[in-house]
Amino acid sequence: MRRILLGSWLLSLLFCLPLLAQDVSISGRVTSSDDGSALPGVSIQVKGTTRGATTDAQGQYRLSVPANSRLVFSYIGFETQEILVGNQTTIDVKLSSGTQSLNEIVVTAQGIERDKRSLGYSTQEVGASMIAQKSEPNLLNALQGKLAGVQISGQSGAPGASTNINIRGITSFNGSNQPLIVVDGIIFSNDVNVSGNTLFQAQSANRLADVNPENIESVNVLKGPAAAVLYGSRASAGAIIITTKNGRNQNNKTEVTVNSSYNVQNVYGLPRFQNDYGQGTNNLYVNNTTASWGLPFVGGPTSITNLQGETRPYQAYPNNVRDFYQQGSIFQNTANIAGGDANRNFSLSFGNTTQKGIVPTFKFNRTNVQVGGESKLNNGIKVSGTASYVQTVQGGTALGNGGSAFGQLTRIPRSYDLVNEPFQDANGQSIYFLTTANNPNWAVRNLTLNSQVDRFFGNFTVGYDVTKWLNVTYRVTGDTYTDRRKNVNNIGAARAPQGEIIQDQFFRSELNGDLLVNAKADKLFIEGLSGNLLLGNNINQRQSQSQSVYAQQLTIPGFSNVSNGSVFTSSGESSLTRRLVGYYAQASLSYNNYLFLELTGRADRSSTLPRANNTYFYPSASVSFVPTDAFKLQSDILSYAKVRASIAKVGRDADPYLLNSVFAQASFGNNLASVAFPLSIGGSSVPGFAIGGRIGNNGLTPEFVTSQEVGLNLGLFKNKVSIDAAYFFTSSTNQIFNVAVSPSSGYDTRTTNVGELQNRGLELTLNATPVRASGFRWDVTLNFTRIRNKVVSIAPGVTQSGITGNGFIGITSSIVEGQPYGVIVSTANPRVQNTNPNGQYYDATGQFVGQYVINPTTGQFAPGLAGQVIANPNPNWTAGLNNTFSYKGFSLQALVDTRQGGQLFSFSAADYRSGGSLYVTGIDRDQPRILPGVIQNSDGTFRPNNIQLPAQTYWAGLGGLASEGAVFDATVYRLREVSFNYTFPKEWLSRTPLGAASIGITGRNLYFFAPGFFADPEVNTQGAGNIQGLDLNGPPNTRNYGVNLRLTF
Amino acid sequence: MKIIFRSVVLMLPLAFGLGCSNFLDESINVTPNNPTAVPPSVLLPTVEIGTAFANANEINRFASTIMQQTAGAANSPATYDVYQTNGADFGNQWRFELYGGALVNAQKIIDIASASNSPAYTGIAKIMKAYAFSVATDMWGDVPYSQALQGEANPQPRVDKQEDIYKGNTSQNIQSLFDLVREGLADLDKQSATRPGNDDVIYRGDLAKWRRAGNTLLLKLANTISVKEPALAKQVIDQVIAGNNFIRSNADDFNVTFGAAVGSRDPRFEYTNISSFKDDLIMSSRYLTLLQGLNDPRLPVFWTKPAANYVTWDNGQSGARPTPVTTWSRYNSYVTGANGEGPVRLLTNFQRAFILAESALMLGTAGDPQTLYAEGIRASMTLAGIPTAQIDAYITANALRGTQQERLAQIITQKYIAFTGNGLELWNDWRRTGYPTQQPAQNAVGIDGTRPVRAVYVSFENERNTNFPNPAPQSNVKVWWDAN
Repeated sequence: MRRILLGSWLLSLLFCLPLLAQDVSISGRVTSSDDGSALPGVSIQVKGTTRGATTDAQGQYRLSVPANSRLVFSYIGFETQEILVGNQTTIDVKLSSGTQSLNEIVVTAQGIERDKRSLGYSTQEVGASMIAQKSEPNLLNALQGKLAGVQISGQSGAPGASTNINIRGITSFNGSNQPLIVVDGIIFSNDVNVSGNTLFQAQSANRLADVNPENIESVNVLKGPAAAVLYGSRASAGAIIITTKNGRNQNNKTEVTVNSSYNVQNVYGLPRFQNDYGQGTNNLYVNNTTASWGLPFVGGPTSITNLQGETRPYQAYPNNVRDFYQQGSIFQNTANIAGGDANRNFSLSFGNTTQKGIVPTFKFNRTNVQVGGESKLNNGIKVSGTASYVQTVQGGTALGNGGSAFGQLTRIPRSYDLVNEPFQDANGQSIYFLTTANNPNWAVRNLTLNSQVDRFFGNFTVGYDVTKWLNVTYRVTGDTYTDRRKNVNNIGAARAPQGEIIQDQFFRSELNGDLLVNAKADKLFIEGLSGNLLLGNNINQRQSQSQSVYAQQLTIPGFSNVSNGSVFTSSGESSLTRRLVGYYAQASLSYNNYLFLELTGRADRSSTLPRANNTYFYPSASVSFVPTDAFKLQSDILSYAKVRASIAKVGRDADPYLLNSVFAQASFGNNLASVAFPLSIGGSSVPGFAIGGRIGNNGLTPEFVTSQEVGLNLGLFKNKVSIDAAYFFTSSTNQIFNVAVSPSSGYDTRTTNVGELQNRGLELTLNATPVRASGFRWDVTLNFTRIRNKVVSIAPGVTQSGITGNGFIGITSSIVEGQPYGVIVSTANPRVQNTNPNGQYYDATGQFVGQYVINPTTGQFAPGLAGQVIANPNPNWTAGLNNTFSYKGFSLQALVDTRQGGQLFSFSAADYRSGGSLYVTGIDRDQPRILPGVIQNSDGTFRPNNIQLPAQTYWAGLGGLASEGAVFDATVYRLREVSFNYTFPKEWLSRTPLGAASIGITGRNLYFFAPGFFADPEVNTQGAGNIQGLDLNGPPNTRNYGVNLRLTF
Repeated sequence: MKIIFRSVVLMLPLAFGLGCSNFLDESINVTPNNPTAVPPSVLLPTVEIGTAFANANEINRFASTIMQQTAGAANSPATYDVYQTNGADFGNQWRFELYGGALVNAQKIIDIASASNSPAYTGIAKIMKAYAFSVATDMWGDVPYSQALQGEANPQPRVDKQEDIYKGNTSQNIQSLFDLVREGLADLDKQSATRPGNDDVIYRGDLAKWRRAGNTLLLKLANTISVKEPALAKQVIDQVIAGNNFIRSNADDFNVTFGAAVGSRDPRFEYTNISSFKDDLIMSSRYLTLLQGLNDPRLPVFWTKPAANYVTWDNGQSGARPTPVTTWSRYNSYVTGANGEGPVRLLTNFQRAFILAESALMLGTAGDPQTLYAEGIRASMTLAGIPTAQIDAYITANALRGTQQERLAQIITQKYIAFTGNGLELWNDWRRTGYPTQQPAQNAVGIDGTRPVRAVYVSFENERNTNFPNPAPQSNVKVWWDAN
């Protein structure tokens, strides 16, 4: 019975349909926003079609257009404006002569296109011209310095190395703080699938690296939870909406675009070395030390005998480290074919990137193929889809302390000819001045990690306008990849002397189905009020599986197949499945196009939480108001003003399988010695399991992020200057976290809901066009970000806890109560204090408070205090300044960015300094030195330290690896990007098949200045993720430059 | 057609709503990667191997170096050799090998096997737990004990005094290590639903040998506190002697045997011959002098001599190390096994004999010190494969003589030689008795230039457990039983 009723209701709708599908007639007047004068001859085009009109002498126009189309108003000397027709019949438009249109259409959550002025939250768009052809194959790196409120940091100069991105700070103690990535509506994995230990294995790429930057139409960043709440849990860290190139705006023309670029890559950012003293310690030549505390070259011996018993000249090799690196190259080619109009279109893209890195095994080769299209059928159904295939091959080598090339490169004596010394013998074994490490030249060739990713992703969308005001759309998206990795440590590898091969198959898939029901009303209750209601349902499944064959104890040198192994006991598998069902709704109201209100709500049910707690609801609300329109305030100074505010709450589920404590196959040890069960003892196999280190929790509840934001948009001086400012406050509560427990409890962590984390921040974007005259134009964009993050509380009785991940004992990236997220906890040198009379090193006079305490026996720092915060990796603020100058066909763009403050913990620095290879360690080396600090007298008073130390003891005493002496200020100023382009005049091309042609040169990371560190501080060996600010002997950064060519047929 | 389509479109959310009950079934979140319950038979090897690994791994590199059997040629051992140690050392031993390894899994066996009425397992687990706790307290002094290993019930356990750990403290609800061993021995006498077999890598399920090992452990624990608490030590030793069921033959040694393949090997084999840290340790010149002075036939059995002469290094010596490293004298197969089999000797017949010799001499327990001392040397030399005639001659040449302290020095020195490769035992005996008498290392620095007498608490505990003192006692502060 109900079905018949429903059917007849639908039937009645059907009768209305032909009427509603008719074109609507639009009329209006176009004026200048500067002085209100009529603009004659303005071109008005229905976007994606050839239909259009122009205004008459009074600025009037009239044309009939399909409902829901977009009109593009363009006029020379004025900014182009796009307007959604909706159901309006009269559209009056004010065109501004400013630098930028303030009535932009932007893509928001779930692909909904919105007029930017209606948004009560912050978004920022980066167009194709700021992404493509920037000497950089990784999209995230190409976005550096171009976004406010977003921190992007490269982790090293290795090809395909991961890049960390956080929007508006860190909001989760333990979960991923990387934003959600959406490519053409597809929830796109940007995971860094770490299969090994981040302390010593090659860095895996973040999987957004599978996207070809040359095929991107636009990137829109939804910064706060309010903007992204419709995407659910994962968007609590913001979202990045990427739209690839399509044929929608081709006006029924088919166009072929070809982009080619070739760049070279060179190591950049090595420290300055001393070249006065060679290998040795205590002013003596020692043939097997990494230190350069030996004899001076001037007045020293002319030759020495090395560890192999051969005679070598005793001299400095000033470029022995720099010349170890080769020149890399990046060759990128992309072809796009697109055609059609808004209703029927297609696109095809083919791209290839071939990158060779700065050491022989480094490479990154990516091939992308994408097809897409959409079509509106005669019955009113609109179907669209894209399908993409990517193959990414990444070649890497081990990094980190303990066995890798990079772990040794910071310890090369100044007198060792790294480039020309033979690095392997006839049997392929390493030759080096240390028997316990591998020659870096050997290591880069024999410790390899190769990864081949085959990835498919795509979407299929069916939409239907049930009535004029009701649209139903279903979208299915899928993203799946396999990553086949082979990690080879050849026989003789320092970390695996008998050799090992790990063949790892990693699989990940994500499927999403979204139903979107959209209803709108142009006149709601009163004149001028319009509204839109969206109801949605999302089902989501994420699966991953990893299977590894771990072959140890190899027999045949150079045979890199797991069949070469003798022991396979460390092989294993791991699978994850998680599912989620969400329901969401969004109601938007607009009053006279100057006052906007939006309410959203989403309820999720997740498989990863206990049944009793697995359903959770979270809402958001935002308002935006344009007083310049409401009160007619426009003037020559103030052209546009908008104020906005939003509040949002986002719930987040747990990772899978956290509810129970589990057992795992047991193993003991590290690279000193290790055993892994099952053991083979006396010919029989002995299995062994152990209780896992984590205590499960069957009462977990979701965690929440609450965000408040206020913002202001201003257009000044006829919109020649525009400002977008936002202040936000987020509070993350009820965090699902593996809280550290005392190891003597028998466990390492317990999973529980704890704590509170706060972020407050200011972000500012300023656009200006200072000069525009006779064909010359100068545009400036400034982005500024200042975020303060604070761990308010953790758990009762817990004031600090390590962040999940690999780490060295005694150098723990942590959350500490009252401190920003991710501070590094280690051993601090004790200082004189005057707060606790019963404590150590109390100075009643207060004279020496804060000074280091020196051990009177050794003249070195007194034994350190464990568990102290020694470094904060978070910057005080960051900013990027982009200038573009264009004149006729020429354009010059330059981006300068800076990171102010924040600290870096550097193994490399400790190596260079305590090893005596750094430039400063060569100055006045024969002079004794005194460490800064005071000595406690027997009566408890203090005296200044006067114990003289030789240079070697002094520089080593300043700080070894696990100490605050390895902490440096990470402030840096950088010339991030320069590009110079020339577009050939159209008339030159008239006799060729070319529609457009341009040629350019670009450079990246051309110069940096770091006042507090002697190398490039933008490195992090741990890769993208929550652990930041650790330089544990990773690859250095690079400087890239090259040429590019773009042709359109 | 359109009607059907439209109906379908509008019904879609309904369909998903209905499908949800299966789609989000609780089984989705059951991990396929790890078991949530296991039998005690897969935990026992973890406990036994873990205890041996803790003893022979970094703790041995540290203690054998400061006790001058080895010298530190590079890296951490070179630092230890000049008496530098801090809270960054032994983190793995504390966290993964002892508390998070042998100890918590021994506790798990006790919990699981108690529920399944298998006292054969609980008995073994209690003896292993007592042994592993003795390693912890002998290294660090006061440590979490009575409240440790309770997981969520006590995420920040109290630090118990070493005195209470050894002696027990009823008011604090602390069971003594002696009572823990006795409880384990009592369990071994009960009927057991399941019994260990090959999963017991020490005795292959031979409970009679476990009883002897348990009683011998009582002797070792009593011996450790004998200088501080002679009366209690004598009482325990008298009781064990009266019970007459302890290790009396080398065949009963409480040894953990490893395997020959990578991933199965004794850590001492790995860091002596295989790993990238293999050139961190070399035989100490002082050890060589000691054994050559005694004309000890065990020298070539315990140490390699790849070159014409032993290539050694003095403790704390600076300057270029001997080259090539292939000539260095290192642990021989007596210590490491020919291919990494070990064994790690945790309680031995020679140790038992030396303990009884010492207590006969110092505490007046039953037995003749000289006879027991000779028994210890004979047991050790027999293990080393020394011919009987040579053993006899050696015993004759090195008979106990002199004052009580001189005879004690001889006993401990012979124990020191016999225990080559078990640094913790050497360090314990030296801290208790001051023997063997050794000169400080060259270039000694440390806190005040003296040899460490305790390990500094691992920095983790200072970060995670407010019950730990911070600043922690430095390495020059004696533990409770170190009363000499």
